[in-house]
Amino acid sequence: MEEKKTLTCYRCNVELKAQKTYFEYLGHSFHADVLRCPECGEVYIPEDLAKGRIAEVEMQLEDK
Amino acid sequence: MVEREIIRNTYSVCPKCLRRLTARYVRINGSVYMQKECPEHGEFSTVIWRGYVDMDDWTKNAGETGDEGNPNCPNDCGLCSYHAQDTCCTLLEVTDRCNLNCRFCFADNGDSPDPTLEQIRLWLNKLAKPGKTLVQLSGGEPTVRDDLPQIVAAAKEAGCRYVQLNSNGIRLAEDEEYLEKLAGAGLSFVFMQFDGTRDAIYQKLRGRRLLEIKQRAIENCAHYNIGVTLVPTLVPGVNTHNIGDILKFAIARSPMVRGVHFQPVSFLGRIPELPADDMRFTLDELLIAIEEQAGGLIKLENIIPSRCNHPLCGFHGNFVVMPDSIVPLLHRERAGEGCCSPTTADKNRAFISRRWQRQSQGKGNSSCCCGKEPDINSMEYFLRRVKTHGFTVTAMAFQDAGNIDLERLRWCSLHVFDRDRFVPFCSYYLSRWQKQ
Repeated sequence: MEEKKTLTCYRCNVELKAQKTYFEYLGHSFHADVLRCPECGEVYIPEDLAKGRIAEVEMQLEDK
Repeated sequence: MVEREIIRNTYSVCPKCLRRLTARYVRINGSVYMQKECPEHGEFSTVIWRGYVDMDDWTKNAGETGDEGNPNCPNDCGLCSYHAQDTCCTLLEVTDRCNLNCRFCFADNGDSPDPTLEQIRLWLNKLAKPGKTLVQLSGGEPTVRDDLPQIVAAAKEAGCRYVQLNSNGIRLAEDEEYLEKLAGAGLSFVFMQFDGTRDAIYQKLRGRRLLEIKQRAIENCAHYNIGVTLVPTLVPGVNTHNIGDILKFAIARSPMVRGVHFQPVSFLGRIPELPADDMRFTLDELLIAIEEQAGGLIKLENIIPSRCNHPLCGFHGNFVVMPDSIVPLLHRERAGEGCCSPTTADKNRAFISRRWQRQSQGKGNSSCCCGKEPDINSMEYFLRRVKTHGFTVTAMAFQDAGNIDLERLRWCSLHVFDRDRFVPFCSYYLSRWQKQ
């Protein structure tokens, strides 16, 4: 049986939930579902998101 | 009282004999002129900037070379060691022949016989930097060559990453089989001459009615997933009032049309008459015309002065076409890079190929992944949409014997490949002004 992986907020000891989260860059705002602590709002940005979609958005918005 | 101020010294050439001259940018009552004197042919003055937009602000990030340049410039082209910018795009002439006879033609090619396919293959092998080069096949009109698909294939075999076709679009409209072969050979995108949305404009500039042909060429290219960027030559009194309509036409045809690349008329090659200042359309006139005519679609704050080349060479704007709006991605005050650094030719090439090349089309890309209304703020939707419906508004102001600034030329990244050397576009096509 596959083990369900969860992430827990180190401050609140509460499981992170996927929530619509806004990112702002160079005057633009985008949302994506990322894991957030429902108590304190701390977000977890996995490496593949940072190096993947977020990096791609940055590239598209930056002047060349 | 006339307000007159010398704002910069540089070098230029005499329009009559092309000898190298010192020159000055002079601001007179808000407009800026290039002024120079030839010991043999007298004084020359050419308007550079009308003053509708702050020129000092526009050019504030121009690169500085810190030296006087090559004392033989532009006669040592190929590229000399004083050249300050790498090659972004390489232009290769594949024929002198053309199926039009336009009033203005920068190439104004003569009657040389076509180079053979094998000769072109040799040139492509010399000019290509494998995996990097963007080659523009040009002429004359390249599509008069029946073997153009083989030339495209040869360019890909030589390692050219992108193969662009500069064309009037006539054969692309009338010969779909030929276009299919071009696509199959690896053609990346097309730069198509497109002077306006009314046939009277084509009749005046190109000698025949061409609007329907242009539309058909765009649609045919779309069948084969070949993006088309529209390229108007802007001539005062002929099509400068059509700029807004050109933009609306192009935006309405996204993603078939990838953008509009404005080229204010320059007096290179074949010209109908020697230019007076009222025959010029300066970059700031173009900026104001875009803002006034494009009905709020394109705002000046979203247009960035050229960074790959000199700021007076042109501009770019980066947009995403939505179902009922157009969203700007760049803002001059927030352009994202260090304010003082010209961008590299490699970065420029990556940007333009990202926009001008069509991605393979999926179905239903106009809607959000969950079938709801499109949401440009959804990261997923934005990344999908910008790839399919990215749209550029760009301009390039070629220099001619009246206004060429040899310091500005050092930043040129559009290079013509001529047998075994790279030559900046504006010095390659620089021609003496003679009475027509």
